[in-house]
Amino acid sequence: MLHPNLQVGVPSQFLNRELLSGVGCLESGTTRFSTHPSCTGLKPELDRSHLAAIVESFDVPIISKDISGTITSWNKAAVRVFGYGADEIVGQSVLRLIPPELRAEEELIMQKLRAGERIDHHFETVRIKKSGEKFSVSELISPIIDEEGNVIGVSRITRDMSDLKQIDDSRFRLAAIVDSADDAIISKDLNGIVRTWNEGAHRMFGYTPEEMVGQSILKLIPPELQHEEDEILRKLRAGERVDHYETIRVKKDGQRFEVSVTISPIKDETGRVIGASKIARDISDRKRVERLLVQSEKLAATGRMAAAIAHEINNPLESLLNLIYLARQNIDKAGKAHRYLLTAEEELERVAHIARQTLGYYRDDGSPTEVHLHDLIENVLTVYNSKLLAADITLDRRFNDLQKIVVSKGEMLQVFSNIIANSIEAMHEGGTLCISIRKIISSAGDGIQLVVQDNGVGISQDHLPKVFEPFFTTKGNLGTGIGLWVARQLVEGRGGRISIASSTEKGKSGTTVTIFIPFATPAPGIIGQE
Amino acid sequence: MSQIEVGSIYVADEFFRPKTESAWREAKSDKTQQNRPRVLVVDDQKLIVDTIAEILEGAGFHVMPAYDGWTALEVASRFRPDFLLSDVLMPRMNGMELAIAIRKMHPGARILLFSGQAGISEILHEGKRQGFEFELVAKPIHPLKLIELLKEK
Repeated sequence: MLHPNLQVGVPSQFLNRELLSGVGCLESGTTRFSTHPSCTGLKPELDRSHLAAIVESFDVPIISKDISGTITSWNKAAVRVFGYGADEIVGQSVLRLIPPELRAEEELIMQKLRAGERIDHHFETVRIKKSGEKFSVSELISPIIDEEGNVIGVSRITRDMSDLKQIDDSRFRLAAIVDSADDAIISKDLNGIVRTWNEGAHRMFGYTPEEMVGQSILKLIPPELQHEEDEILRKLRAGERVDHYETIRVKKDGQRFEVSVTISPIKDETGRVIGASKIARDISDRKRVERLLVQSEKLAATGRMAAAIAHEINNPLESLLNLIYLARQNIDKAGKAHRYLLTAEEELERVAHIARQTLGYYRDDGSPTEVHLHDLIENVLTVYNSKLLAADITLDRRFNDLQKIVVSKGEMLQVFSNIIANSIEAMHEGGTLCISIRKIISSAGDGIQLVVQDNGVGISQDHLPKVFEPFFTTKGNLGTGIGLWVARQLVEGRGGRISIASSTEKGKSGTTVTIFIPFATPAPGIIGQE
Repeated sequence: MSQIEVGSIYVADEFFRPKTESAWREAKSDKTQQNRPRVLVVDDQKLIVDTIAEILEGAGFHVMPAYDGWTALEVASRFRPDFLLSDVLMPRMNGMELAIAIRKMHPGARILLFSGQAGISEILHEGKRQGFEFELVAKPIHPLKLIELLKEK
């Protein structure tokens, strides 16, 4: 169907090289199938039919038309892509292939070509199949020139781009997905150099793509964990994945956070590993909740055990105290035995004290009620009144908690009593005990803040981090080492916070304990409740 | 409370009842006891009841011991206590139920509950729902403190 007298300009990038090997003359840009024997090494008449065969068998539609726009040739690929047989379309106007809204564009091109201008670039546009379906094409349009150099027609090589377009579309879509993901999605090469960096990575680590692309991934890894990267790269080279690996990474501002990373090798078409994709998820919130849960489960388990043990210990203790008391009543008060019994009784009091503190007798002493915290403090101060007087301690009360708060009275009494007892012991040579209570309004939630401040001996900096640990004491045999630990359990169990600051510097020594209790009560189930 | 626990305490209670009754008869016959404050002491732990009874007797109280709630009620109907000192967690009838019954029977009696363990808040709530609240002290309580508590008033 190809016009035998035509020279057809075929751009080299459209040519199937196998087909043309040893046949055509390739020039850059537009290739001219010359009829010159020196070029093909074939006789002219053979050359023409050969050329026609090539065009015919070409996998891309090649269409030629005269300058009026009438189609003059139509190859097999054109039949396949457009759906028209050559007999249907040859002699018809090319406009049948062009959507009506694009016909002006076609006119413009034809004007240029008639003027002898060339259009060397690919021309992306839309064509219509016989079925009426529109599809994207990339066209290369070249003038057909006769022996005298006149433009006698146009050849069009029309490449169906609809598949490529889809690939492109999905690429854009993928890129959009990657950028809109909350997770950091990073790709790196096998030397650990970052190649791509999405928005999620920007948000999570604080570095912009410009700051990270081309940089080593080690920038994100804390110094002591950098050996992880070697292991990761080793696995990647072996083609293995790293799944949901939980570790620590560093943000631009130096802050460390917990992440879960999944790293998969990226392979080229031959299966060779050329890099890795890394998806990192910030799991610090989840970790925090997990730790809270573990802690509250521990508390709940401890609580159940304590309740069971309390019964088994407190009842015999009650009997023992009574029996020793009775024995003392019935014995010579001047004798040794009486002294022994007195000591035994004192020792038992200590056991009873520890049992009460550890086994949390108060822990469910009544349901939470609305109280003024200063009333509870007054309660505790009444109990310690004689001790305060004996140690020559001055009281400074600053109560501004006009609002009541829902707490378990027993628990809070225990907390305040443990803290005030510590302060009194720290001021055995006198001092001032300042207790202030006020309402705090904060974005994290409103509540009551209580500050107990003494100017006693203070706690050394070595000991300070340990004071909330169980069985830590500086009081030797006199201390149980659980007062502050219990206080913290109870305060945190109520959803509050407790902190301590202290100084042992001469002249400025003293300890400040700050407790914050929110008005909002903790949700049941989270904190040690069944 | 499992049935086994209830059963075993029941046997113990039957075993000690005659002693309780005789003690009560003795107490009644003794005219000098008439003016002393009367305390009903109830606990399923016999040793606790017996030692407290002896201590309080020594401190000038007239004590009526009971080892479970039902017996305590029976005793209270004749004994008219000024005080009830009762454990909370007991089989068959808990301290709260006993306290409510005694409050209805003798509104003037002062009631003191004592308990050695956590896990009694349900029982205390139940009392509250019915409109009753009683003083509660923790076991162990030193004998002198107990005497002090009973002499307050």
